[in-house]
Amino acid sequence: MSSWQTAAPIPLTGADCFLRAFDAQARWQNGASHLSQLVLRLGPGFDLAGFCDLVTQVSRANPILRAPIRRPFGLLPPVYDTPRARLDAAPPVRVHEFPSSRSDGIPDVFFQRLNGTQNLRRGDLLRFDVVRYGGGAEGTDFAMTWAHLLFDGSGSERFIEWLAACHRGERLPNDLSPAEGAGIAATSAEASMGPHTRGPRERGLKARAYQARMAGFAARPPRSLAGPPRRTPQALRYAVETFEKEETQRTVERANQQAGFLTPVLFYLAAVIRAHHAVFRERDLSAASYVVPVVANLRPKGAPSAIFRSHVSMLWFQVFPDQVEDFPTLLSVLKEQRLARIREGFVENGAAAMNFARWAPSRLYARMAERVLKGELASFFFAYTGDFLPGLSRFLGAEILNGFHAAGVMASPGSVALLSLRAGCLNLNHVRQQGVFSPFELSTFRGQLRKDLLGVDGSR
Amino acid sequence: MGPSRASLRPVLQSHRSWRNPTPVAAPSRAELVRIIFDILRTQLLSVGSEFTEQSSLVDAGLDSLAVTQLLLAIEEATGVWVDESLLTPENLASAESLAACVYELQLRAS
Repeated sequence: MSSWQTAAPIPLTGADCFLRAFDAQARWQNGASHLSQLVLRLGPGFDLAGFCDLVTQVSRANPILRAPIRRPFGLLPPVYDTPRARLDAAPPVRVHEFPSSRSDGIPDVFFQRLNGTQNLRRGDLLRFDVVRYGGGAEGTDFAMTWAHLLFDGSGSERFIEWLAACHRGERLPNDLSPAEGAGIAATSAEASMGPHTRGPRERGLKARAYQARMAGFAARPPRSLAGPPRRTPQALRYAVETFEKEETQRTVERANQQAGFLTPVLFYLAAVIRAHHAVFRERDLSAASYVVPVVANLRPKGAPSAIFRSHVSMLWFQVFPDQVEDFPTLLSVLKEQRLARIREGFVENGAAAMNFARWAPSRLYARMAERVLKGELASFFFAYTGDFLPGLSRFLGAEILNGFHAAGVMASPGSVALLSLRAGCLNLNHVRQQGVFSPFELSTFRGQLRKDLLGVDGSR
Repeated sequence: MGPSRASLRPVLQSHRSWRNPTPVAAPSRAELVRIIFDILRTQLLSVGSEFTEQSSLVDAGLDSLAVTQLLLAIEEATGVWVDESLLTPENLASAESLAACVYELQLRAS
């Protein structure tokens, strides 16, 4: 075991604290943790015994996986308390045997897991569910569910790649360097802010600039389909639509042409905004604006990518209903906003603001966000993560037939669209709180999304 | 995280006066290669000595955020704005190919 893994508690990054705040908020209001999930649909041959053994070894070598998250002395910024991690208790692997043939649908146990609770203070950060069909002979569905702060989307894929490499004998459970593991050169959450932000005064100014920009959104406050956050049980479900290869090729070409081959995310964001807008129109509801955060990856470019902790900031977009009616207009507005935000240093400012959340009580940050956005947290959440596990065709001996992310979303805004590519096919995963979309509205949502992505009517 | 504007200053100052935002003379193509390469190597990418002016920028880790920061840095250093529509795989093949694109724009502007 490397010294970084046990020598001292590992500080949460600013983004970790941001997510911890949402975990506290979701528990209080919705009775569920703020979790994230990665799903692999596998062919036959999954090495279950090998996986359980590997999880035990990896857990022993990387106590962060079982580390209680605590705020030292009740005042200092919270840490992954690795010296107190329970090394004798690996993250649980629950096996569910299904005698019948698998269907295209998602196993209910994955939804139950996503709507469950995981106690951060006890180090209950990571769980696995393995659904075997016909004893594994007909394939396996695999879900990794984690407290959203343990990995970000990129880190979770790196973790899966690393597990696969360990199983193939190409890596070892204890071979992660500090940079590759928690993304730390020194054990300091300050490092997560990047080397260019100097003293506390400059950081304070950046955080205030971020807050001022956010406060500007309130002039035309956003609205979500779920309405403002309220005390209601979290009941998330999701459905994944996988595009055919030809459809994907067409969509990707349109995205590259219209938004640029390095920034297709704006194309997908525009389509998802318009899909939500179509549902608003259907309900005859008007939102003064749509406000959506988009994650920006803060990892050093070209360096070994950190697995643990969240290394992200956020770019926020605000668009008005009259800008949404026409796709090219919307895309043009999003491009302008993105450039303007990056030019003004919004990404760095966001990191500085989230870093201040390390010192704030958990709930305070979510409350502040609600106050700034007049009761809402956002219009909806969105992510486009590009190629999903590129280069990884097998996991623990089984062929990966498909795979995608399924992030949790609080009961309000109650809707998150996650798009990614796997083996040349686009996966659209729409996670939503039950009851927020009627069946007819879901049909409208999907129809509008297909129409904009494909540039045609969208009906099959 | 990508660089802040202040952090890019040392690289840019060698190419442009901050008191006078107008470049003294438009950089040559070779100078543009060096400017872009310096920005990439010292500020935007965590790369070693294997990264050269001919290396693929995307393979070296240039992503959507970093490429926009690169465009802003190029604008500060040269006064030339590279529209995102010009960010084709061919133009982003290497520091050299991107410099060629910037040089073309510079010629057209003058």
